Amino acid sequence: MNGRDAPVFVPAPDVAARSQLADFMADVSRSTGRALDGPAFSRWAATDWRAFWRHFLAFAAPVVEGAPEPVCVGDDVEMARFFPGLRLSYTENLLRSAGPADDDALAVIAVDETGRRAEWTRRELRARVEATARSLAALGVKSGDRVAAIARNDDRAIVACLATTGLGATWSSIGPDQGPESVLARFAQLQPTLLFTVGSHPYQGATKPLAPRLRAVVQGLPSVRTLVALDGDVAALEGLALPTRTLADLEAQGAAQEPFAWPRVPFDHPLFVMFSSGTTGAPKCIVHGVGGTLLEHLKEQRLHSDFGTHDRLLFTTSCGWMMWNWQLSALASHTTVVAYDGSPTWPTPDALWRVVAETRTTVFGTSPAFLQYCRDLALVPREAHDLSHLRAVQSTGSVLADRFYDWVAENVGSLPLQSISGGTDVLGCFVLGNPLLPVWRGEAQCTSLGLDVRSLHGDGSTRAPGHGADDAVGELVCANPFPSRPVCFFNDPDGARFHAAYFGQNAGLWTHGDFVVLTRHGGARILGRSDGVMNIRGIRVGPAEIYAILQEFDEIRQVMALEQLAEGEIGGTRLVLLVVLKPGAVLDRPLTLRLKKELSHRASMVHVPAAIVAVDELPATHNGKLSERAARDAVNGREPANLVALKNPACLATLREHPELGGRFAPRAG
Amino acid sequence: MTRTDMRQLLLDWLDDNYHFGEAATLIPSDDASFLDNGILDSLGFVALIVYLEDKFHITIDRKSLNRENFDSLNKILSFVLPRLGA
Repeated sequence: MNGRDAPVFVPAPDVAARSQLADFMADVSRSTGRALDGPAFSRWAATDWRAFWRHFLAFAAPVVEGAPEPVCVGDDVEMARFFPGLRLSYTENLLRSAGPADDDALAVIAVDETGRRAEWTRRELRARVEATARSLAALGVKSGDRVAAIARNDDRAIVACLATTGLGATWSSIGPDQGPESVLARFAQLQPTLLFTVGSHPYQGATKPLAPRLRAVVQGLPSVRTLVALDGDVAALEGLALPTRTLADLEAQGAAQEPFAWPRVPFDHPLFVMFSSGTTGAPKCIVHGVGGTLLEHLKEQRLHSDFGTHDRLLFTTSCGWMMWNWQLSALASHTTVVAYDGSPTWPTPDALWRVVAETRTTVFGTSPAFLQYCRDLALVPREAHDLSHLRAVQSTGSVLADRFYDWVAENVGSLPLQSISGGTDVLGCFVLGNPLLPVWRGEAQCTSLGLDVRSLHGDGSTRAPGHGADDAVGELVCANPFPSRPVCFFNDPDGARFHAAYFGQNAGLWTHGDFVVLTRHGGARILGRSDGVMNIRGIRVGPAEIYAILQEFDEIRQVMALEQLAEGEIGGTRLVLLVVLKPGAVLDRPLTLRLKKELSHRASMVHVPAAIVAVDELPATHNGKLSERAARDAVNGREPANLVALKNPACLATLREHPELGGRFAPRAG
Repeated sequence: MTRTDMRQLLLDWLDDNYHFGEAATLIPSDDASFLDNGILDSLGFVALIVYLEDKFHITIDRKSLNRENFDSLNKILSFVLPRLGA
């Protein structure tokens, strides 16, 4: 056996035995009278999933009222409804105390790159949230309202979010670095009644003002009745002709002695709206329910991540990424949330490792992009910082290559590097960590308990975890109902967009849009997107947003944005733009720079392509519809599946052989 | 490669990847700090040295990636050109 054939990390038996997952498995075995361990337990959870969720609800014991039966109505993944008899409050569950000591334990540590550090106990956080909720209610915020936020990843965003969701209103947030078009493409669909915002944000030593962008944003949101400055910067909101408050005002005015009675809402009551930009149309507004979100996060964080009262979680995220919501839910496991805002590499290249050490973080969540940066800089965090409290590193956002497992083992410590993957669509994970299992290079340790995650192959067959061959690439699908399936899309009354997004491709299966290999170890390798949505440096990019901006260029007749595998790039892929020019136009350097500049200013830097290539034609079907799938296959070295459907298949050879596109190959779908 | 050529190569790289035609305008002088003037952030510096290594088949010691060597056009030119044998 050589080093590549051995796991890169093996959990200590005593640590594994003390884990909550071990407790839960023993609990289930006692209750069912069946000896279930290892793969047998995972299979049981996926096949007898109603029993799994019934047991887990009792084990996690969130504060709920009503009947826990039926566990789920219906067996259809698309339509099934979990726990229709339960009512609960997300906020109440996140703020509740595990005992007197827990009330005085830190709930939130907020740190930013300027050195600002604030700490809040659970008792203090609860008081702030309750006070803010009273004031929001006085301002007219009520159940069913949508509340939007342009927020920094700090304690103020947490207070605002929990106060909002505590009233039964729905929270939707993005980070402060988005252009106004991007903000409005999302928030305008929701018709929010209140907007939280910040006046500026620090990044890389500079203070970035939002005021110029806020005017356009507020003008595009006529439903907003009140603005709230999270950071107190009311000057940034001057002249916007709306009542303006600060979060500090709301906290002061709502302060009271008596506890707030959080209204409990049905299991599927809307909690968060997340956004996903696709290949056509406006970004999808994905509505996630209170119960599904809480239960899934409790499961992932207690069983798979073993979060508890002694943990401190720092996940590098903005308020616009689903990991912010995931991080927030750790409060329900009585884990301290370490919210970090700003550049991870300022004022020193290893600044974030310093924060991890100084906050005594136990679980550090990051991305392949950050690990690549550390590796490129030859950082050795374990030598420069006291990381003795750190017990796990989690990574998500894009494909986690084998080399990072070795880098963490050599430069951070002997601890598990856990690849976790799922996304905005399910506000959780399909594959993730496990405190009982070894870590193999390049693999997530297991699939998510209770979810029948499979790989779907070209012949229609599916493979379950542990039953695949290590080179059998398939589509990641889920074959059974799960509580964190979105409730619906906003403004999709007949569910047609929802159906098309996840069930149109393979009836009865949630089709996630990722390529996956389910390995013989029972783990999974995620290999990137299988649909038109791109993942560039860990951030999802919808081609539709790019097309909307470039359609204003007189020189361009047609355009196609593609993700291409690229060895050495952060995340393993790059964004490529194919353009068909109008007669007389030339793709020269000035036009190339103008295209990039427009995309960077109106969308974001992630939307800027690594390469722009002029072609004579783009692959299209016989009825004239452009085929991104065929082009994507061609630039990634795959054989397009349905050539007869194309009216111009010869153009694919041009793409394959183009000097700026050739020589890169993707794994072949099995 | 001459100093002038290398200077233009750096400006082109900044334009291609970060400033899209505005690099020369944004840099007030060849001695101006990239960090203080928002020309490059830490991640950008890493991307730049990876680019220079690929372009010129050289290896740059990561310990040398600091303000003294990389925080302005002139500093980068003075650091990189001798390593190319120019």
